[in-house]
Amino acid sequence: MTEKEQKQIFEEWLSQHKALIFKIVRVYGFTVTDQDDLFQEIIIQVWHSIPSFRRESSVTTWLYRISLNTAIKWTKKERKHNQSETIDGVKHILEESRMSTDERLTWLYEEIYKLDEIDRSVTLLLLDGFSYKEMASILGITESNVGVKINRIKKQLISKSKKYDHHGI
Amino acid sequence: MEFEELRKIWDAQNNQPLYAINEKAMYNLVLSKKKQAHHITNISELLIIIVYIITGSVVLGMNLFDQSSNISMYVLSAWMIGSALFILVSRIRRIKGGNQFDRSMSGDLDHAISVATYQVRISQIMLWNILPIGALTTLGLWEGGKPIWIAMVVLLFFALSYYAGGWEHNIYKRKKRELEILKKKLASES
Repeated sequence: MTEKEQKQIFEEWLSQHKALIFKIVRVYGFTVTDQDDLFQEIIIQVWHSIPSFRRESSVTTWLYRISLNTAIKWTKKERKHNQSETIDGVKHILEESRMSTDERLTWLYEEIYKLDEIDRSVTLLLLDGFSYKEMASILGITESNVGVKINRIKKQLISKSKKYDHHGI
Repeated sequence: MEFEELRKIWDAQNNQPLYAINEKAMYNLVLSKKKQAHHITNISELLIIIVYIITGSVVLGMNLFDQSSNISMYVLSAWMIGSALFILVSRIRRIKGGNQFDRSMSGDLDHAISVATYQVRISQIMLWNILPIGALTTLGLWEGGKPIWIAMVVLLFFALSYYAGGWEHNIYKRKKRELEILKKKLASES
């Protein structure tokens, strides 16, 4: 694969699927600097993954796998919260959108962030409408295990949302 | 809220991007990183192999050139070249075994754990290796009739190397443990 072809695929994937990466970045990174740092790690891994993409799965599934794997390993790294520069002195790549976001969405992101690294992945896939089979394939666990995790996470989120409703925010 | 409501809130964000991308900075990053495909394991392996081969060869060459009868130095050079060959064989085995993991998060974690296990094993062996190399070097200096202070400086150097090696070994152990915890969480039926 030539560099030109690789760049073309990279641009295509990013323009069509950047929302997917943004969600992962926001779920795993607490501060804007962390989110930017993680975004950089993910796009580097996505770039390197392009030659090994064999179309055995959809691009979305592939990108989820690459991005989630990067994110859960990234959470284990020691990070420095430098406000002006990120890894290797590269300036910020992400800028937060100035559009107003639904408060309930902000709450939902905060609740997902409180889960452990694995449950965050399961929740993201669940909310993005993946089937049990697809989730099992991305995570490399059995469908029954996916089901058990989903039931527990759903109960947890519903219970917390009731408290949120109760406080009338 | 019921779960379907949560999903509707989630889906609504697809119409408004969370971030804007600074594309120029992003491409600069990709360009600067694309040549760094070699993993840190690769670099440390190659470094160990090169350092051991060069040092072992230099010690052997000097001994042969001087027609020295210092046995410890001959044993030391053989030990160093042997260590380089051992790392080389381990490296070939590691690379051959790298493609046997499935393409899922679990498979990726298994691969990461396997690399971490390898790093722990190699760093442990290299740590132990400091002892015979240190002992042979000191013995060689003593046999060669060098002043005691030189032997003491060399011993101090090896002691510091042992300490630094232990520190590095603990980093690999911690990394491996964290990956194993992640894998356990992923596999747990709860």
